[in-house]
Amino acid sequence: MSKKGKWILAIVSILILSGAAVVWYIFNQEFSDTADRKVSFTVEANDFIREFETDSKRANQLYTEKIVAVNGIVSAVESADTTTNIKMIDTAKGSYIIFAFQQQHLADAKKLKEGDRVSIKGSCSGGTYSEILETWLISFKRCAINK
Amino acid sequence: MKKTSLFLVLALSTGALFAQKKTTTSATVNFDATTSIDALPKAENKTAVAALDTKTGSVAFEVVIKNFNFTNPMIQEHFNSSGWMDSDQFATANFKGSIVNLADVNFAKDGSYNADVEGNLTIHGVTNPVKTKAVITVEGKKINANATFSIKLEDYKVTGKAIAAGKVAKEPTITVSADF
Repeated sequence: MSKKGKWILAIVSILILSGAAVVWYIFNQEFSDTADRKVSFTVEANDFIREFETDSKRANQLYTEKIVAVNGIVSAVESADTTTNIKMIDTAKGSYIIFAFQQQHLADAKKLKEGDRVSIKGSCSGGTYSEILETWLISFKRCAINK
Repeated sequence: MKKTSLFLVLALSTGALFAQKKTTTSATVNFDATTSIDALPKAENKTAVAALDTKTGSVAFEVVIKNFNFTNPMIQEHFNSSGWMDSDQFATANFKGSIVNLADVNFAKDGSYNADVEGNLTIHGVTNPVKTKAVITVEGKKINANATFSIKLEDYKVTGKAIAAGKVAKEPTITVSADF
């Protein structure tokens, strides 16, 4: 093989290996620990709920898939199956925020009690109107206590 | 006296009605579309809303599509994209139905009961009738309802190259569990 041919073979091999490495990385990537994630917005629970009640389109565009820290009072601790969710409820209208915790932070969620003041951060999944409950709900996934 | 009695009857009836309709905001819905060549397309949603009326047998659940939690960020992005669930346009999936053999389920007595559930499932804006078996477990005042069933993605107009390539199951399994 000529010197030029060897160079071409080497470059093509490097490109193929680089491509494979990128694909491997993408498919093996996992969501990082939310406790280490930078917060895009910090909000008060009742104000946050009101934003969705008054203009859900705007609120969804602003917050969905962003890491949001919510400060508020724990209204309910819901344990079901192997999980524990935390709720902050607007008692005036019944609208609520619900936080599903990341597996490694479930123990922190289980320690919370109704009435505790807390700051929780997680990936906001947006707000929707529940036909069953006839109220607004804003859900979060992969949450952690905002320390 | 008559007014007091009427008020009491109304208050008791209302209380009974509330007691019959049970709801939870922490039901779990699992979605498993894994195949022999791809173990990534599966997710869990822990914040589904579910309702069960123990008198009429009506059951319902709603789930926010964007709150399905995947382990892999890219798969989650694909799942929500316009080519798949299009969760910007179709934010929720829901089921409305009833237990058709309600007489076989005794909500007043501890035990495990097999329930036949029929209703309409709406995913991706498309509604189809579904029938499934569910297990209802009564323990004191607690009721757990659990059902596992499969759906055909093409019935809900969810299609894509990954399905054709065998990376996503054509008939994923859905598992619903609700504690009331």
